[in-house]
Amino acid sequence: MSKVIEAIKVCKTFGEQRVSKNIDLAVEQGSIYGLLGPNGAGKTTLIRMLSTITQPDSGEILFKGEALKESHAHQMGYMPEERGLYKKMTVADQLLFFAELRGLSTKDAKASVKHWLQRLDMMEWARKKVEEISKGMAQKVQFVSCVLHNPQLLILDEPFSGFDPVNADLIKDLIIELKNQGTSIIFSTHRMDNVESLCDHLAIIHQGEKVLDGGVSEIRRKYATGVYEVGFYQAVEWGGGMSATGESTLISEQQQSDGKVVYRFQTSDSFSPDQLLKLAMGKGNLVHFSEHVPSIHEIFVDTVSRPAEPIAGATIAGETIASKPSPMS
Amino acid sequence: MKNIFVIFKREYLTRVKNKTFIIMTFLAPLLMVGFYAATIYIATETGDDDRTKTVYVSDNNPELLLSHNPPANYVLLPAPSDSDSALAHVERGLVHGWLSVEDRDLRSVDSATYYTSETPSITEKETLKEWIRNKATQRQFARLGLREGQIDSLQSSCSLETKEVTGQGDVQETSSGLKSGIGFALAFMIYIFIFVYGSMVMRSAMEEKTNRIVEVIVSSVKPFDLMMGKILGVAAVGLTQFVAWIVLAVGLVFGISALFLNSGNGMTTQQAVQTGIEARTGMGGMGTGSGSGAAVSMGGEMSAQGAGMSSGARDMAAEFTEPLSNLPYFQILAVFLLFFVGGYLLYSSFFAAIGSAVNQESDVQQFMMPVTLPLVFGFVIAQTVALKAPHGAMAKLFSMIPLTSPIVMVVRAPFGVPFSELALSFGLLVLTFVLMVWLSSRIYRIGILSYGKKPTWKDLWKWLR
Repeated sequence: MSKVIEAIKVCKTFGEQRVSKNIDLAVEQGSIYGLLGPNGAGKTTLIRMLSTITQPDSGEILFKGEALKESHAHQMGYMPEERGLYKKMTVADQLLFFAELRGLSTKDAKASVKHWLQRLDMMEWARKKVEEISKGMAQKVQFVSCVLHNPQLLILDEPFSGFDPVNADLIKDLIIELKNQGTSIIFSTHRMDNVESLCDHLAIIHQGEKVLDGGVSEIRRKYATGVYEVGFYQAVEWGGGMSATGESTLISEQQQSDGKVVYRFQTSDSFSPDQLLKLAMGKGNLVHFSEHVPSIHEIFVDTVSRPAEPIAGATIAGETIASKPSPMS
Repeated sequence: MKNIFVIFKREYLTRVKNKTFIIMTFLAPLLMVGFYAATIYIATETGDDDRTKTVYVSDNNPELLLSHNPPANYVLLPAPSDSDSALAHVERGLVHGWLSVEDRDLRSVDSATYYTSETPSITEKETLKEWIRNKATQRQFARLGLREGQIDSLQSSCSLETKEVTGQGDVQETSSGLKSGIGFALAFMIYIFIFVYGSMVMRSAMEEKTNRIVEVIVSSVKPFDLMMGKILGVAAVGLTQFVAWIVLAVGLVFGISALFLNSGNGMTTQQAVQTGIEARTGMGGMGTGSGSGAAVSMGGEMSAQGAGMSSGARDMAAEFTEPLSNLPYFQILAVFLLFFVGGYLLYSSFFAAIGSAVNQESDVQQFMMPVTLPLVFGFVIAQTVALKAPHGAMAKLFSMIPLTSPIVMVVRAPFGVPFSELALSFGLLVLTFVLMVWLSSRIYRIGILSYGKKPTWKDLWKWLR
């Protein structure tokens, strides 16, 4: 697959503050790239550079292999975190304006506005001023305003902030639909709710640096630390079975509300999950056995709560750092 | 370039389609005429104290004073010889006041005293003073042995006609009053328009910033294009309003002329058409130059005079026609349009920068002051120096400085300004405008994306660099 946008060693400084430090990223065509990071990590600055609003102090940004220039903006859609609409303009006029701004001819712009308003069942609102429609409706208009021109790259900065759950789901479906049509999407957020279900690839930005980068499942696998969960209908006695091996450690025991008990074990090279399962089967009514793979949320919290340093599995400047993953808490 | 146009189109259409704009375009000239008419009416008709006042007069020779006509609304009575009772009567309100003239010849300064129970108005004081002075003069003349008729013949009058010797050796009738009037009206228009449309640009920039629309826009448009599109769009709104007013003014004059054509009033159709044309010639010139409410009122008045069709009115129309037709219309119009556009562009780029820098309306004030000050100063100069001495050094100086030239130059324009001066001044204005637009766009570019704390002058300076 080809890369739609690529950032190479991008740096940006505001006054004394270095907001982007040597950031690399590449977004494949037709994929959703999650850009994660706590508030103030430098996500918006990075996004503004990608969307031609500001220029990097150093480094390079390529759009479909060409050095990024302003005309590329017509092939991008951008929904900033801080967003709004002209209150006194009608929905249709507003959308028309944004479509023309993104380079569509008046005729194409009109056709596109009509298509999207029909698609979202909003034709009857077309002549209403934005100040006269509901907030949820305005949110839909906001989203439509950045996809009217069929962008190849859609940049969404905290797309669900301020959206009610119904609209958030609607937008989520639209994002998936656009992705299936070949649109690449950069999706910045500090909330993990949607990352795992939506993103193919993600990067974590922390204090202006990219501290982690990779495919979502790949990252989760990399962060798998050999912890397994074993569940029983009721509590069991592990006794000497465990101590006999001396290679596996019980790290937690949790009684669930339905009375089931889940034990978490750290396995090791000399004590495989197979051995653990065999051992467990003799202990009682086994109902659950699985590898504990950390959620993106856990990975995120773990990553940003430590000082920025090269992380295992993270690709930095194109080289994979081969060190052992740190144990997950 | 296309982006500037898209922005321009939005700015223009949303404003022109706005109901308030449409209503105000039609209503503003009428309101202005109404406002002036009301002011003049109030000042002339109802401003005076119309109570009839009974006033005691005491003089060394009271008969002499009392034998003359009292001022309007005054009834004069001889004062009681006893000053205490005179004062008591004033105090009790039996009489309005007591005018005591101590010196018959009125040579000394404090020659008369007026006692009242209420502080007299300046008008009342002036009326009485003028009346005493008049009577005293008449007494002096009488003492010199002149009769009433002779006295009147001594009062000579003079009307000074002005003729301008033009370069072609022609001598043309001119009217300083007319030129001052036109110049001032145009300067006033520019002053108001820069304020009105400049702050429109400012509010527009602020709206985009506070509604958080701007980030979406600058992801497809350069901030400079956004600013220019906005400034030009609002300028087009202003020009549209001008054109609408001119059409309205011309239409009004045509309407009134048509009205009086129908009524006839015993004059020949030819005369009527002639007067109508005269009125319109003047009007057309004024209208094109300014499109102002004043123009409407003046055109209206002239047509009304035509409608009355007394020979006096026709003479008056004729008296104005020559100076009016001798005005350098092309120059006035060209100067007005060029300097209006130049001045507007210069100031509106400041306003745009301010609008982009602040986060809310209340933060505007600290930045507005230094921007509006030169504008107000220019207007003051226009009102004083430029009107009194349009060819003087001060007027010349301030019609060169770009911050004041848009206002001062149009005041000078009807009096004739050498081409070289016009070219220099306009050149300076354009240069400054280009520089300021560039500087403002640097502030704008950063200002629109800077939220949070209230910006300071230091911040603006930082953004400039």
